[in-house]
Amino acid sequence: METIINDYISRELVQDAALLPLSDDTSLLDSGILDSLSLLQLVVFLEERFGITVGDTDLLPQNFASVQTICAYLRAREPVAHG
Amino acid sequence: MGKGRLARLLRIAERVTYWTIAAPVLALLPAAIGYRVACWRGDWLFRSEAAKRAALASNVRLVLGDELSPGAGQATVRDWFRLTSCEAVDVMRLRRKGQPLLRLVEIRGREHLEAALAAGKGALLCSAHFGSFDCGFSMLGASGFKVTTIGRWQHKYTVGMSGTERRFWDRVYTAPLQRLRHRPNIEPWAGRIEVAAQAASALRANEVVTVSIDVPPLDGDRARAVKVPFLGGSATLLPGVVTLAKLTGAPVLMCLLHRSPDYRHQVLQISEPVPVDGGTATAFGRCAAEVSAAIAKSPAHWQYLASTADLADLGLISRGTDAPAASSSTISTPNGLQPLSAPGRPWRPA
Repeated sequence: METIINDYISRELVQDAALLPLSDDTSLLDSGILDSLSLLQLVVFLEERFGITVGDTDLLPQNFASVQTICAYLRAREPVAHG
Repeated sequence: MGKGRLARLLRIAERVTYWTIAAPVLALLPAAIGYRVACWRGDWLFRSEAAKRAALASNVRLVLGDELSPGAGQATVRDWFRLTSCEAVDVMRLRRKGQPLLRLVEIRGREHLEAALAAGKGALLCSAHFGSFDCGFSMLGASGFKVTTIGRWQHKYTVGMSGTERRFWDRVYTAPLQRLRHRPNIEPWAGRIEVAAQAASALRANEVVTVSIDVPPLDGDRARAVKVPFLGGSATLLPGVVTLAKLTGAPVLMCLLHRSPDYRHQVLQISEPVPVDGGTATAFGRCAAEVSAAIAKSPAHWQYLASTADLADLGLISRGTDAPAASSSTISTPNGLQPLSAPGRPWRPA
């Protein structure tokens, strides 16, 4: 899961090549990778890829702070379609 | 007491009196009389607020260049004050679920919005700080649409504004407008990364989301801003409305509220969907062109004309122009009114 999300963020959302390769604990917010619109883009990807719906109440910075926290958030949800 | 301090206190007293007593009374009178008196008040402000008048005149000249004759420029400035005064009456006519104002507002293009919503992906209404735009959004709510606005209530962010002033504007301005909207405003600000997702949530529920695109980008957003042709020059704006449309599949329709020459009737014009194909900047340029054309046609409707700082942030004028010093005042709150106790203080954080 980490690889899938890291690849997507690295490919679609990182605008500053100096931030690559992206580590799983890099702060997506402090580094400026995620803003309001790129978060939406990421949410759309996660919903399609893992078959979930991200509710308004889940749109917390701590859930999307890094690849690790995104994965922790997804793992806390059921079901998550891997692969 | 210094002369300047006394003048400032008188301005505060006049504004409080106008918003809490005069405008509510004017809103109860026949519209022809109510808006006529509002225009008289606008004319009085035009004559008495010399610094603001000079700032507006300078900005009109800097932004519109030679497109307006000196006489037309002065008329634009006077009209700007009139429209500002009229907006207070608009807000007060939002009582009784907006019916008193709805009788004066013709919604053209309603069928475009209904057709867009029939597709089930919501609709993005692309607008600007143009005329009584906030009332226009609430009018749509009053006419049956579930409307949510992406936008900041300016008084909540005005630097140096007291809590009393914020509560004042909450009561006289925000509350009547918000009552006719489906959800609280989605207010973009530094660190609020949930804004676009919240808007997407409203669109998924097949609701209407309004966005005013003529806002100067916050410092943290400048990297994602684009330069588009605007008012004969180019402006730096955020193309978020197009990105949102591409991500959600919601159509983008232009929505602008025009006040007619009699000042009491207004037309809320909704366009057919704007194509968002092609690059984001290209698609966004189509929206910006519509706003630009509306401003060029009716410049007094544009609230940012009062703000040299914001016009500079938009890239429409250079910093350090020969605008009068008082022109650093901004559109502040609401619709061109200065903060009550801090005339001339920018509403946006430094």
